[in-house]
Amino acid sequence: MSEMIDIVVDNKTYKAKEGSLLIDLLIKEKIKVPYFCYHEALGADGNCRMCMVEIEGQKRPQISCDTFIKANMKVHSTGNNIEKVRRDILELELINHPVDCPVCDQAGECSLQDFYMDYGLHNSEVLIQEKIKHTKHIDLGANVILDQERCVLCARCTRFTEKITKTHELGIIGRGDEARVSTMPHRKLHNPYAMNVVDLCPVGALTSKDFRFSQRVWFLQTVNSICHGCAKGCNIFIDHNKIKYKDDLIYRFRPRRNDEVNGFFMCDEGRLSYKALQDNRQEVTLLNAKAITEEEALLEAKRLIEEYENNISVVIDANLYTQEIEAILEFSKKIGASAYAPLEVYYDENFKDDMLKSANRGANSQTIELLTIDTSTPKESGLVINFNHPDTFNSETVINFLTHKKALNSLIFPMAVFTENTGTLRNEEGIVQHCEQAIFKNTPIPTLIETVKKIQL
Amino acid sequence: MRECKIVSSRFHLKGSHTFRVAKENGVYKSLEKVKGYIPLEIIEIIKESGLRGKGGGGAFAGEKWALMPQNSTKPSFLVVNCDESEPGTFKDRQIISQDPHLLIEGILITCYAIKARHAYIYIRGEYKPFQDILQGAIDEAYQEGLLDTCDITIHRGAGAYICGEKSALLESLEGKRGHPRLKPKQKEPEWFFGNPTLVNNVETIATVPFILENGADAYKAFGTQKSAGTLLFAMSGHINRAGVYEAEFGTPMMEYINYFGGGIKNGKKLKAIIPGGASTPILTAEEVSKATLDYETMRSLGSALGTGGMIVMDEDTCMVEVLKNLLEFYHEESCGQCTPCREGTGWTDKLVGKILNKEGTKKDIDKLLEVATTMNGKTICVFAPAVSGVITAFLTKFRDEFEVKL
Repeated sequence: MSEMIDIVVDNKTYKAKEGSLLIDLLIKEKIKVPYFCYHEALGADGNCRMCMVEIEGQKRPQISCDTFIKANMKVHSTGNNIEKVRRDILELELINHPVDCPVCDQAGECSLQDFYMDYGLHNSEVLIQEKIKHTKHIDLGANVILDQERCVLCARCTRFTEKITKTHELGIIGRGDEARVSTMPHRKLHNPYAMNVVDLCPVGALTSKDFRFSQRVWFLQTVNSICHGCAKGCNIFIDHNKIKYKDDLIYRFRPRRNDEVNGFFMCDEGRLSYKALQDNRQEVTLLNAKAITEEEALLEAKRLIEEYENNISVVIDANLYTQEIEAILEFSKKIGASAYAPLEVYYDENFKDDMLKSANRGANSQTIELLTIDTSTPKESGLVINFNHPDTFNSETVINFLTHKKALNSLIFPMAVFTENTGTLRNEEGIVQHCEQAIFKNTPIPTLIETVKKIQL
Repeated sequence: MRECKIVSSRFHLKGSHTFRVAKENGVYKSLEKVKGYIPLEIIEIIKESGLRGKGGGGAFAGEKWALMPQNSTKPSFLVVNCDESEPGTFKDRQIISQDPHLLIEGILITCYAIKARHAYIYIRGEYKPFQDILQGAIDEAYQEGLLDTCDITIHRGAGAYICGEKSALLESLEGKRGHPRLKPKQKEPEWFFGNPTLVNNVETIATVPFILENGADAYKAFGTQKSAGTLLFAMSGHINRAGVYEAEFGTPMMEYINYFGGGIKNGKKLKAIIPGGASTPILTAEEVSKATLDYETMRSLGSALGTGGMIVMDEDTCMVEVLKNLLEFYHEESCGQCTPCREGTGWTDKLVGKILNKEGTKKDIDKLLEVATTMNGKTICVFAPAVSGVITAFLTKFRDEFEVKL
């Protein structure tokens, strides 16, 4: 079954695995095919009937999500016939759709809109009064809002709760054009991966309570990054935008497909972790809770390091980029300090599950271990330089590098979070992954590498 | 008109649903004979008899049986389809209420042939009174020790027409929503919780005892060459004696209607007949005069024999109203899985409603035909294609009646 064979699509020959799904080939080769219900993570369901293609020798058009590739298959994905079929089915899809794109959050990333522009362009023939009315705003729980009227009944969300999370909260009730997605009465959508249904939904039926109405998607810029929520290292998209006269802000994280790491999904906690990155940030240099200039702070740091020579410990956060950890090690060698990275604090058994969540919540703790940095609590020393490690340490004096505000009486340097910087992480499986810089603040917060370089010793 | 009572031989007897009366009149007689055959031989006999599925599709039963594995590590199942919900069709309920032991006898033979030890009867939810009679017969059969090696369980449906479609039926039986499954690319049995399963209509199974007792040739002696045997044809509508009457395939339609039905009510003229349950394309009086009751002739007339439940309409019938009535049913019963059916059944219903209310335009008739075309051949099951055929037949054969309403 797994032999590679030739298949002809639109008069071009492609290599494909015998017995594999035709739609997978079309998607892989970027041959335009409209579809709602098919999803590589969920498999074929065959209900939307949009992915029709013509296959020579078959008298009727066939859905490509239920067509298995055979040798010498000749497929036509374009042409008047097949485009008419797609257009006609799309017309049916739209007759009871509210067409409320101007107020719909999905606008701009909606399959229905895209396919309408590609194949539809019909005139509306059904009066608004004649359309089937459903409930427009149902809080399903878990930050997911359902608009039943916009739904195309592709059943991706129900299949997600059935096949992926196996929690079965969502189902389809009612028959014919009264069919709609719903939870059981008095039950809520409730699982740690629930918000993935928002990404799965090809239309605006399921929207994120967190994101909806905050931005039009075409204003967002997207960069590739890695979630720092745990050592799994789920691949993500960071969607951010810098509104005129305002600062660059992240509006959402979305999972980015990586079959070796996270597949198609990410957990809700990771998805919402962007908020904490921009709230309560440490932005200025402080000495004992009093703002001082950076120059003054650098001089004070220099003084302290010289004062405590050979009596200094450096503590490293396990969420820092590898490049940052290396810079700290170099710096600590230079000042004759011993480096520590206590990992116990990152271990959270309650967070763990058998899907994506790892009990190890230090996103780069693998690198700490690979570099054989001492993971025990630092020995009592005169000066501790803490690079954003969540614990506080006993010593006469402390220099803190902080991303977020903390009530500490010490010399404090602000430092950039991972989205304001670029670097790599090594996840728990040893896979090294790169994060791009997403955020360029109006007043950039220096990275710890920059600050460390500025301390003149 | 040749008398042929293969399934309905005991229907007229008083108390025919009881074990005592049925036994006195020959039920379970074939079981002795069955013991003399190995399972494969029985399948051969069924193949030989030309028995076709009597639930509407008319597929050859023997071929379906032969798909069941004889040496499976998994248990095999028989599922008897008694989800009779097709408008105009009411034959299966005659069997389960008038001669339930015949069905049990057929189940026992079939289970022996396909090596199943458990049979499910999926019954339409509204058939509760008939279900009680059938359950009574099953209880009697247990008491008589007939079901020692094979269990029979009745499962009551929750009222969805689509669950008569065999794969939707199995989904429903598995406790899920009754949605038809994607069809396999090769010939294979059905699957019930992943186990090989045979799904047959009540009447098909009830025909099996006769064939085993009298031989394949005795069955083939009835009917035409390709449509062998008999069917419980039924009549309803503008007919003097509506009801279920068994007749052999190939019987001229008019002859059947006049002989059993006593002609059209009130001496009126025949206008049209829906031949085999609501989902078959309508035939005009002229076509009816040429029609014989078998699969091939019906197909050549552009319709289908279906379940053989004829809906007879006299000259005063308004065809727009008939189509509206039918479309309301389909609108209600579409399972909502595939887009063309989910939205198409609703839209066509509304369009015909518009025409009926004299609010329609010529464009609406064209749109109706266009939507019907979209619904044909693009869905998982044959529900939408059937609706498409119904709409197209009404609009091509009685278009003038629709245009008058504009």
